[in-house]
Amino acid sequence: MVLPALLIGCGRDDVQVYKVAKEMPQRQVEGQAQAAALPAGHPEVPGAPPKLKYKLPSGWQETTPGQMRLASFHVQNSDGKQADVAVVPMPGLMGSDLENVNRWRSTVGMPAVTEGDLPKLAQPVEIGGQPGQLYEQSGENPGSGDKSRLLVAVLRREGIAWFFKMNGDDEFVAQQKPAFTDFLKSVGFAARSMRTDLPPSHPPIGDMSSLPMPTAASSATSEGKPGWQVPPGWKEIPGGQFLVAKFMIASSDNAQAAVNVSMSAGDGGGLADNINRWRGQLGLNTLSEAELDKVLSSVETSAGKATLVDVSGTDPRTSQKTRLVGAVVPQGNRTWFYKLMGNQQLVANEKDAFLKFVQTAKYPDAL
Amino acid sequence: MLFDRLINFFTSLKLTVACLALGMLLVFFGTLAQVDLGLYKAQNEFFRSFLIFWGPKGADWKVPVFPGGYLVGGVLLINLVAAHFKRFHLSHNKVGIWLVHFGLILLLLGQLGTDILSRESALHLREGETRNYSEAERQAELAVIDSTERELDKVVAIPQRLLMHRKEIRHAELPFTVKVKDFFANSIVDNRTAESGEPPSASQGIGPRAIVKETPRVTDMEHRDVPSAVVEIVTPTGSLGTWLVSEYIEQPQTFSYNNRSYALTLRPRRFYKPYSIQLLQFRHDVYAGTDIPKNFSSRVQLQRPETGENREVLIYMNNPLRYAGETYYQASFDQDNRGTILQVVHNPSWLTPYFSCILVGLGLVYQFATHLLGFTLKRRTA
Repeated sequence: MVLPALLIGCGRDDVQVYKVAKEMPQRQVEGQAQAAALPAGHPEVPGAPPKLKYKLPSGWQETTPGQMRLASFHVQNSDGKQADVAVVPMPGLMGSDLENVNRWRSTVGMPAVTEGDLPKLAQPVEIGGQPGQLYEQSGENPGSGDKSRLLVAVLRREGIAWFFKMNGDDEFVAQQKPAFTDFLKSVGFAARSMRTDLPPSHPPIGDMSSLPMPTAASSATSEGKPGWQVPPGWKEIPGGQFLVAKFMIASSDNAQAAVNVSMSAGDGGGLADNINRWRGQLGLNTLSEAELDKVLSSVETSAGKATLVDVSGTDPRTSQKTRLVGAVVPQGNRTWFYKLMGNQQLVANEKDAFLKFVQTAKYPDAL
Repeated sequence: MLFDRLINFFTSLKLTVACLALGMLLVFFGTLAQVDLGLYKAQNEFFRSFLIFWGPKGADWKVPVFPGGYLVGGVLLINLVAAHFKRFHLSHNKVGIWLVHFGLILLLLGQLGTDILSRESALHLREGETRNYSEAERQAELAVIDSTERELDKVVAIPQRLLMHRKEIRHAELPFTVKVKDFFANSIVDNRTAESGEPPSASQGIGPRAIVKETPRVTDMEHRDVPSAVVEIVTPTGSLGTWLVSEYIEQPQTFSYNNRSYALTLRPRRFYKPYSIQLLQFRHDVYAGTDIPKNFSSRVQLQRPETGENREVLIYMNNPLRYAGETYYQASFDQDNRGTILQVVHNPSWLTPYFSCILVGLGLVYQFATHLLGFTLKRRTA
């Protein structure tokens, strides 16, 4: 039995040759584009191809996305003037805007600009409910000499730079600009597939990175949110099953940070384990309780004394320098976890607002 | 003389105890190692190996420091078989011992069979989508697709194991050589801007517009590696250029040679089936008024053209679909509840643990029963 098994087993990893029916592109449900670069159904990968939902403006036709495109559209009017629309998600946040803008400008024969000119060129635009920048370039295509216009909207989120481009005849693209901005508004960043390595029949679990350590009596979010004053510039977004609330913060230079609020019954798995879990999210080592005592501070909140942690490191998922300010607020028989994490400068700017937010939160049974 | 010593060594009870102790230590340290290495690497280094190697960080040499799972299990198997044949003769009062030993041997062989023959993959389907293949989660393949014919594509799939050696790959079905110039087990692919000072990753396809960077291997369970490679296509008359292939790049990159069209793509390894599965509906039920999951289920349509089979199947927790030697478990789902992920397990020796337990159980019952009977009869006679 062993020998045949070994023989069969060894042969399984050889070159295989087979014939298959040609793959027909499967129609996406409800205009949902999904780059299959990463296997459908695979565990989430840092920077893995994301999915997108959108509402198609009238007159736009979906075309087969080319390389690196997540979605592609063709627009044409009765005079034969046309434009091409592309959605390109790039992992790794993709370079500076200055570099990108100058490259786009060069495609329509426009001169390069300097860093100081950028804020004047960036038009604010809403992309899927989040603030993005729209850059509009028009000029003559150096190759063909045709008058052309290029609209590019940029949004950086969750370690991915999203580029939405509309390129084509100058006048026609200018006419299509409202449809383009409507399209941007309609964009929804669909939930990416998740996978756990729980036993096959186990109910899947949510975003573990935001969760307190599990406890037997963890009751997550079945209770109400605390009452709070949301600081200006914080945008609340759906946080998923295990978060009480989630806020996104973006600065004018596209830096981003997020605030996660979660709650757990009891001590949520212990202070040290939770602080070390946060440290792990920045690639930092685990500290003993005695070592933690030296780096933790405390702050008064409406629920009593809370523990505060402020650490900087590198997010292993994005390789970006990241800062995390976290507060653990014990309140009666449960514990609230507040985490501000993201771009170092932005977190530094938002720290005071975050602390005030934590300190003034009024808890449901303390109202 | 030497033969006798060998026999004594392999039939020794001390060897059994030593192997069991080593096995316990192996499981202990192999479990701890998962923290740093991740499940898959720890499994390969500790259990799917004859020796465990260690070397200082940064050094390019390693020395064996402990026996691996195959060595401990193999010696234990030899010890069990040898000791059994040396000590026990087939007689009616030893039948129980024989059964117990055969049960254990079957258990060890069955586990080896599982290790060598079993295969796990995943089938991800959006509602309405049909597929006739599942994909390995942690293995890639370079598919060289001859797409010249109208109806069928001929695929030559080169597994990741061969790509990792960065060698030339020749195959009778390919009119050219695939030369693996570089392989990155985990990587990130970025746009290469016109002003970028970095050299292009490859000369053809997307290569001039992209750069590829190697990144550290992923060890935790929530993420996986995304491999990339740079390959050169070399024909008898010369090179056609180099291509960057990556799991990040969705579209196959095409080229022509000798009036035939080819496409190159690096993708998760595929396992095609002679049947297809379509997801009709995925359901994620929760207990009323809460977010607590109650049930996950996938209603699928199973179609097998060659037999005319066409039926609906409901797969839910603890109720997998067992079909054609494969088991489809409800494993996960898309967060928008419109797609399902089925774990596909192919394990030809899945029944061996059951048979082993039955044999061991019967052996123990027989052995104890005959002793009890003998004892009772003796007391009566007395």
